[in-house]
Amino acid sequence: MPGTPPYVELHCHSAYSFLDGVSLPDELIERAAELGHTALALTDHNSVSGSMELAQAAQGHDGMRAIHGAEIDLAPEGRGGTAPRAPRLDVGGAAEDGRRHLTLLVREARGWRNLCRILTDAHAHTRGSLRERAEPAVTLATVLEHAEGLVCLTGCAGQGVHDESTARGLLDAFGPQGLRVELQRPYARHDRARNRALQALARRLGVACVATGNVHAHARSRAELQDAFVALRHHTTLDASEPLRRGNHSHVLSTPQAMARRFADHPQAVAETLRLSEQLCFDLGKDLGYRYPGAEDAGALRELIELCQVRLDERYGAQVPAENRRQARERLEEELRVIDRLGLAGFFLLHHEMLELAREVAVEVRGREAAASRWSGGGAEGSDSPRSLLAPGRGRGSSVSSIVCYLTGLSHIDPIANRLLLGRFLHEDLRGLPDIDLDFPREIREVLIPRVHERFGRERAALVAAFPTYRARGAIRELGKVLGLPPGEIERAARSAEHYMGAPEHGMATTPPTRSERWRWLARLVQEAYGLPRHLSQHPGGMVVATRPLIDCCPVVPAAMEGRQMVQWDKDSCADAGFLKIDLLGLGMLSAVERCVEYIARARAERIDLSRIPFDDPQTFAAIREADTVGVFQIESRAQMQSLKRTLPRDLDDLTVQVAIVRPGPIQGGAINPYIERRRRLREDPAYEVPYPHPSLREVLECTLGTVIFQDQVMEVAQVFAGFTPGEADGLRRAMSRKRSHAALQSHRESFLAGAQRHVGADPRTAEQVWEMVSGFAGFGFPKAHGAAFGLLAYQSTWLRVHYGPEFLCALLNEQPMGFYAPDSLVHEAEGRGIPVLGLDVNASHVGCTVERSGEASPHALRREGEESIGLNRGERLGVRLGLGYIKGVRAEEVAELVAERERHGPFGSLGQLAARVGAGRKTLEQLAWSGACDGLVQAGPASLRVGTSDARRRLALWEIGIPTRPATPGHSADGETQLALPLELPGAPRLRPLSRWQRLLADYATSGVTVGDHVMAALRPRLQTPMLATSAQLPRLPQGSAVTVAGLVIARQRPGTAKGIMFLLFEDEWGTINLIVPRAVYERERALARAEPLLLARGRLERSEEGVLNVIVRELAALERFVDTEGPSTDASLHFLPVSRSAGAEEEEGEDGAEVGASMRAVVPPMQSFGSGRRR
Amino acid sequence: MSVSRTMNLPRPARVRADCEGAPCVVDGRRIELVRESWLVEDRWWSGRPLRRRYWEVVSAQGRNLVVFHDLRCGGWFTQAG
Repeated sequence: MPGTPPYVELHCHSAYSFLDGVSLPDELIERAAELGHTALALTDHNSVSGSMELAQAAQGHDGMRAIHGAEIDLAPEGRGGTAPRAPRLDVGGAAEDGRRHLTLLVREARGWRNLCRILTDAHAHTRGSLRERAEPAVTLATVLEHAEGLVCLTGCAGQGVHDESTARGLLDAFGPQGLRVELQRPYARHDRARNRALQALARRLGVACVATGNVHAHARSRAELQDAFVALRHHTTLDASEPLRRGNHSHVLSTPQAMARRFADHPQAVAETLRLSEQLCFDLGKDLGYRYPGAEDAGALRELIELCQVRLDERYGAQVPAENRRQARERLEEELRVIDRLGLAGFFLLHHEMLELAREVAVEVRGREAAASRWSGGGAEGSDSPRSLLAPGRGRGSSVSSIVCYLTGLSHIDPIANRLLLGRFLHEDLRGLPDIDLDFPREIREVLIPRVHERFGRERAALVAAFPTYRARGAIRELGKVLGLPPGEIERAARSAEHYMGAPEHGMATTPPTRSERWRWLARLVQEAYGLPRHLSQHPGGMVVATRPLIDCCPVVPAAMEGRQMVQWDKDSCADAGFLKIDLLGLGMLSAVERCVEYIARARAERIDLSRIPFDDPQTFAAIREADTVGVFQIESRAQMQSLKRTLPRDLDDLTVQVAIVRPGPIQGGAINPYIERRRRLREDPAYEVPYPHPSLREVLECTLGTVIFQDQVMEVAQVFAGFTPGEADGLRRAMSRKRSHAALQSHRESFLAGAQRHVGADPRTAEQVWEMVSGFAGFGFPKAHGAAFGLLAYQSTWLRVHYGPEFLCALLNEQPMGFYAPDSLVHEAEGRGIPVLGLDVNASHVGCTVERSGEASPHALRREGEESIGLNRGERLGVRLGLGYIKGVRAEEVAELVAERERHGPFGSLGQLAARVGAGRKTLEQLAWSGACDGLVQAGPASLRVGTSDARRRLALWEIGIPTRPATPGHSADGETQLALPLELPGAPRLRPLSRWQRLLADYATSGVTVGDHVMAALRPRLQTPMLATSAQLPRLPQGSAVTVAGLVIARQRPGTAKGIMFLLFEDEWGTINLIVPRAVYERERALARAEPLLLARGRLERSEEGVLNVIVRELAALERFVDTEGPSTDASLHFLPVSRSAGAEEEEGEDGAEVGASMRAVVPPMQSFGSGRRR
Repeated sequence: MSVSRTMNLPRPARVRADCEGAPCVVDGRRIELVRESWLVEDRWWSGRPLRRRYWEVVSAQGRNLVVFHDLRCGGWFTQAG
């Protein structure tokens, strides 16, 4: 029926009602349009989180209008506690605790502001000081105070306001034009009686009735999920939640005609939906009225120009070539002209202000001196006034290429010297605001965020929200419980669902063959729930600031962390709203490089300005091409290393691509192999013509050799190839970035294919091929600017690693957890490069790790060039001393006190002295002794003891503090045989058997998680009964395709969703690392070993690529313990070491040695890259 | 009172319905008035899902009746209100 439909839906929940709504706003709009609706109101519970999505989705449909509102909870006491409780009406979704609901709809801008204030108030007390969560609710009084610009409906059938006195209160505030009595027909038993009563109430009040559908799902296919969510919300099962459910599926969006029929008894209420909807003309896209601070400031440009001029003179003074100076001046003029035209001066000043704020915070947090040594500004040598310090943060976005950003401190890289093109960061056609992300060292960020709240006022600054979505595993666990399936089997199904990306049904592929109705439903519900928002959470660092109170633009609610608050919108919605979003991100590597610069200043009295280091250092690029990059930013992972050897990066541009390439987007889009292959061909033949699917794509894909690697390329391709407008292209990008995008992507596909033929005359096959490239990208990928900033940090960290190895290692060890490798692996790798790493020592170690001059190199040390002197004596070199903070189970204050006492009164002469002077507890002393930190405190013992060795001294130290001579386990001293830890004159120690090498290694792992100067594989190798074991050092010499057996300590395990069930393992032995690929079948067979066993043996075939990348394709996996020789001569004590759970004496049992090797390692092995314990950058 | 009656189990009924699905005649009794109609769609996850359209009606003799139309098997049943 063309023309006006008879009904408009004014009450509808999306998944942003969290567990009371099962569709996304765009699904609702899409479906509503199909069904012939012309407008749709979204009224989520106490939230407008979905409103911007709704508005955006509606814009894409001609003749579809978004209406905004919310269904709010009234606190039970009502106005002054006098309002009588509503009679309980028995319709599904029974009232929980006497709370009542009201439906509020926005008529005009004023109403939106009021709604935002009401919702802000509703959430204000949801996070108590005790971290209890309370449900949001407002008092009736609050609603009445904010009635202007809003239309109030009396609420849903079950929990609406149905008593006359409250309704009269509403009437007084909203007036007859602003109040409607809401009629619903959920096909429950007493609908008709209730609606008759409500109609009578409306007559008495003199207001109209309006019909609503209380929609909770956009399509019938998702109706069951709503029932499951209700049970989930009430922490119960479907079987037990019948009274709570709606009882039927009439909550599915219906056609306007069907709705008119549903309310055949109330035609006036149906007609009222149309009349009312015409009054609700607030347009969220236009009427928000947001301005960022500085946006209206006429003096902003003047201020920015002055700021830049001063810095220009500093940065491009006599120390730079005249040509650079000239270019810099020209570039600055050009940029300022564009900034002026776009009215963005205030925007840049605001970012500058953030950095200044960060600088103040840094001085507070770290002290002036430390701050000065970290951020000495280039060009102003010696003048360490705070003004000359580089602020402790940096831009990540494309801002890196702007000279204004360089001069205001946003970027740390000289765009002139490095010939960076301004590109897309700032141009005259810019729509919206440029994107600047600021990365900060972690500790600065923690203080900075609340400081920003203070600076701009709590009403004007808030964090951005984030909505974690349902993934296969979580959905299986929660929905499985709701279906009443056995917990053990649910868990098994959940664990087997590792495909966190792509089609969720794969997640269930390995569940028991769909055995029953309930399991079949689980599979279906999981698929329906996949990608729906689960709850409101906080974005890691995105902040929004505004000139007028933010709560007039979007509700602001408390975040989980005390003192922080956030808007109800996520980053996409904030971007759509035009909010100025500043990302204050914590980046471990930034802290690490800054620490490193500080250590260099201390150890070598050298000042490093990371923005002015050479960006074409041959040694650095050589290291990158050899994948000698353990510990550096981004390009250190197993996958990146393998890729580096193939792409062979030569400059910063190559690194920009490099950091972006090992991402789900480029991987799924099939970009990697063509890119690598084309790079190779270009190296071999500079005349090689890069193939492009269509000539029109050359310009936008040139920098990535015809492949799509950056997110921005998706948009550019859509524009140049398919003729999309920037807005449409952005819509495509958004459809990709949102989790559930299948339907939306499909509609983009059609316009893309049609556009390609129209716009560049592409034939259908080519159009399809380019669409495949673009749509394959649907997963996560970097914008180019992001790649540029990350590539830069990757370079800077590699440069530090190459030239200042000890300081860099020390910085990494002190910034843990971060990066791909555990500290133990970082230490072993550094030792392999000849960096001395010194063990724990109560007389030398500080709390953190320190750079120390060392007389001797570690056992593996190989001398490398470039270490000749920096004021070191002959034979001396820089090394890293492990810090006492690494010892687990020791309180931080005790360690700090120990170090302070040593600094005050000199080194400790004995264990007794240590105990007396530090006053450390028994447990602390034991841990210190086990870790080897007390080895230096014991006196030479009987001649029979090999006192020189750490093993003997550690045994003696343990004895002195009363750990029995029989092997025990760190942290588990046996009672009885104890020696008091007092400064007594000790009798001579009895003949003690030194710790075995194996015991010492285990003690290291159990206490600090780091072993120095030795390796478990070196200790085990002589005792392994596998003659043909190849070491990591031997592998490169073996021919391609050789059958090999390798063994090692597993330092990384990965099973990415993009790898189709393949698992990647990284072994470490005493010589280096070995890459292994475990095919799906082997993985399925040896799952437990592959996922958890610390020491493994693998048989397989050596695969060598043309570029020399080595992988062992695994055919068989086994626990290494099975191959430990238990019969051989056991001169070096025994390999066995009592696992934690064993009672003393069990070690006497025979034939258990091998197993104990495994068991004891499993008990103490440090956390590594593995499932469920993702490491941070 | 029969056992099924005490258990409130549905008993098959002979019903003639109009084009809207509303019952006009139940077990030979002419229906005068429809008081209410509701829908039950539940237990979909079990082996025995329910889909019923209930009608609360008044017969010409003034008797209250509750009947439902089983939307799965198509049959009509009476059940005590």
